[in-house]
Amino acid sequence: MPAKLKRIKDDALRESLTQAQASLRSGDYPDVVHRCADAYLELLSRKPEMLEGTESLRSILFFPRLGAHLVQESDGSMMVIYDREEFIFSEAVTYFEFAVDSLAKHEL
Amino acid sequence: MKFGLFYEHQLPKPRDGDQWDEDAEHKLLKNALDQLELADTVGFEYVFEVEHHFLEEYSHSSAPEVFLAAVSQRTKKMRLGHGIALMPPRYNHPARVAERIATLDLISDGRVEFGTGESGSVMEMDGFGIRREEKKRMWEEATRECVKMMTETPYSGTEGEYFGMPARNVVPKPLQKPHPPLWVAASRRETTMVAARLGMGSLGFAFETPDEAKERVEDYYELVREECTPIGKAINPALAILSILSCFDSDEEAIAKGAEGAQFFAYSLGYYYNPFTGGSHRPGKMNIYKQFIEKPEEERWGPLGEGFRSFGGFQAGAQKEEPEDEVTRALWRAAQRGGCIGTPEFVRETLTKYEDSHLDLMIFVAQCGARTHEDIMDSIYRVGTKVLPEFNERHEKHQRWRAKQLEGVEHLINSSI
Repeated sequence: MPAKLKRIKDDALRESLTQAQASLRSGDYPDVVHRCADAYLELLSRKPEMLEGTESLRSILFFPRLGAHLVQESDGSMMVIYDREEFIFSEAVTYFEFAVDSLAKHEL
Repeated sequence: MKFGLFYEHQLPKPRDGDQWDEDAEHKLLKNALDQLELADTVGFEYVFEVEHHFLEEYSHSSAPEVFLAAVSQRTKKMRLGHGIALMPPRYNHPARVAERIATLDLISDGRVEFGTGESGSVMEMDGFGIRREEKKRMWEEATRECVKMMTETPYSGTEGEYFGMPARNVVPKPLQKPHPPLWVAASRRETTMVAARLGMGSLGFAFETPDEAKERVEDYYELVREECTPIGKAINPALAILSILSCFDSDEEAIAKGAEGAQFFAYSLGYYYNPFTGGSHRPGKMNIYKQFIEKPEEERWGPLGEGFRSFGGFQAGAQKEEPEDEVTRALWRAAQRGGCIGTPEFVRETLTKYEDSHLDLMIFVAQCGARTHEDIMDSIYRVGTKVLPEFNERHEKHQRWRAKQLEGVEHLINSSI
């Protein structure tokens, strides 16, 4: 398990991303992307300061746009729009690393 | 740690004119060849040449394979890196890339480093009809097939999502077997981790600080050991990053001759990669350098601003105020102007931090902005003769560290580190 994954404190999120890693190994790339997107949405809901001021732009823009992207609803909540359901290896890795790194960085 | 030079072929327009002098592009490319010929003799072991299209002033390097072919005949030892070749098939058909890489490898006696990537500027993507959402999958498909073309006799053909071709024997084949070392451009941390999992070198274009580099090196090598499924037939475990170089005998001179170039590099990079400014660029009609030079100095870092300013400024670059201590202040000033801009002592100190992070390759941007050819030559010579020798002597120690990191890795390795 990559060291960074071990740094995720929340049991449920760590478990989900550990499962995402298993999916990455088995080639189930859509599952990886969905789990990682869900984990990032959870991060945003638990750290509302990430959606305040200029930080908001950063939180949204830095989410990879490789077939899934973040949008902010009029009530301020976030959701992920999937442009397609097929993903390939490098896209899945990108979402996985982004989610793991974001969660570890924000000490979730 | 090894060292290389990075070429965008920047060509700012004259401040007082709408277009360049007629001979400007000719001089730019000929000067770059002279610079690399010198660099080859003073300890720089790599050149990485970008591929960009339509990014006037920021990069006039749209045919890197032609430039690198010329470099191959002007240098003896220097490794010739594509930094990078644009892989989405609408930029370059993968068969044409395979043919060009192999030909360059043959005429250079096996000195090619095959850097791959996608590019992300609106000017380029729109110019070739590439959708941002699809560029990574285009890159992966094209790179996977391109490597097969270099190694299969005959190439078995493909019916992919973005290109298809029947079985053909793609010739010539590269001199290096099974193929030249593979790299991928990584402007984000995530791509470095893609590189590790695919057994590719990571060409880090994010100007990481030594602390960031250290963390990345550790994560990268862990993944190479534990999670690597090579995209090619051999892996190239290696991490490279960029830093801006201007080295003179005093900090004041290094800053005077190098800071504006670094600032323009940042400004023009930000200009083209920010979808708002890059997307509204009027081709052939704008003067980015004039726009840049007429801004107050504190605004010249452009849209990348703070993040770019702090790279390499690990000592005090993040501080807002100038330190009182004279020596620290000199370093702070140099750091504020980015990367390796200072005396040989300052550059040495900066590089030692990266060496301690176990970085494999440091690639310098020496040609940028309106820097003069003479100043670039001076800087290359000074670093090559006064700084690099001790690092080159210590490289064996790094190789031992690296071999330890790769213990147990069973994939074939083809790497020049």
